[in-house]
Amino acid sequence: MSVGHVQRAIETVGIPTVSIMVDSFAHIPGLMNLPRTLVTPHPMGRPTGAPHDIKRQSEVVAAALDLFTSDDQVHKTFPGPYRSVS
Amino acid sequence: MTNSEDHPETLDEFAKSFFYGSRSDISLKFVKDLTEAEVGDFLTEMLTGVVAAIDDGDVTGLTEKFLHWQKHAYVGHLGKFRFQYDDVPFVKPSKPLADSRVALFTSSGHFVQGDDPEPFGVKDMTQQEAENRIIEFIGSDPSLSTIPVDTPGADIRVRHGGYPVGPAQQDHNVALPLDVLNTMAQTGVIGEVSANAYSFVGATSQIGLRKKIAPQWAQQLLDDDVDLALLVPL
Repeated sequence: MSVGHVQRAIETVGIPTVSIMVDSFAHIPGLMNLPRTLVTPHPMGRPTGAPHDIKRQSEVVAAALDLFTSDDQVHKTFPGPYRSVS
Repeated sequence: MTNSEDHPETLDEFAKSFFYGSRSDISLKFVKDLTEAEVGDFLTEMLTGVVAAIDDGDVTGLTEKFLHWQKHAYVGHLGKFRFQYDDVPFVKPSKPLADSRVALFTSSGHFVQGDDPEPFGVKDMTQQEAENRIIEFIGSDPSLSTIPVDTPGADIRVRHGGYPVGPAQQDHNVALPLDVLNTMAQTGVIGEVSANAYSFVGATSQIGLRKKIAPQWAQQLLDDDVDLALLVPL
């Protein structure tokens, strides 16, 4: 919710934004009408991935930045499971 | 509340004890928002999931069940959600990603060692004290920490009374993906990472943040001349 306020404020001054949120917050992008959001299948406290799971963290950030190619508001879900490596 | 001969603990008391109570655990605080029947189902699924994981060594199913209940509890709060908007602020990027200066902005409570925001004037506040003072955090305006993007990982600290910081203490990139962005800049995926990342504790006064603070922070990113912003809540 806090980041939602900040994201809306930044976009309002003309800077395109994207946010990465865990699945427990998946309802927030719609309620707050955020411009671009990637929802990840991770527990709270690990929005980009598990600690030291560099592969997943990189994939998540890349997927989030890819949303800047959208011409419209976009909310996308990153596919699970939680860890990219077992 | 814990068990005693005088007062056997009820299931409701047990569930609430994880929410800043005798068993305070931010990863489990959602249990208080489950009904008693749901707490029973949650515990049953966790225990049977542990047995299955013991046998096959795979915690994927157990993790999925945990995530299901965590989300279920949070979505149950929808009726209390105050900040709904009909309009969508939306601007298109003015240049390709490979030419863009990207800013990182998080509500994870990260800061640089030696530049502690010292909430309420407290030096070296512990994570436990932050959790104990969560009500004060929620009623106060946030402070913004500046994190130069070339800060060594060993110098990055995190403290947040509202969400589990254990993973972020192990690896700041779980919520402050500086290493990932720096690599993307080095490999030309993005133009560059803006010189400073920013972080604040998201458990904060929502009114003050929305009306006063967030517009000031947006102006800061304009001053930094950034092209795009990546935001990450913990």
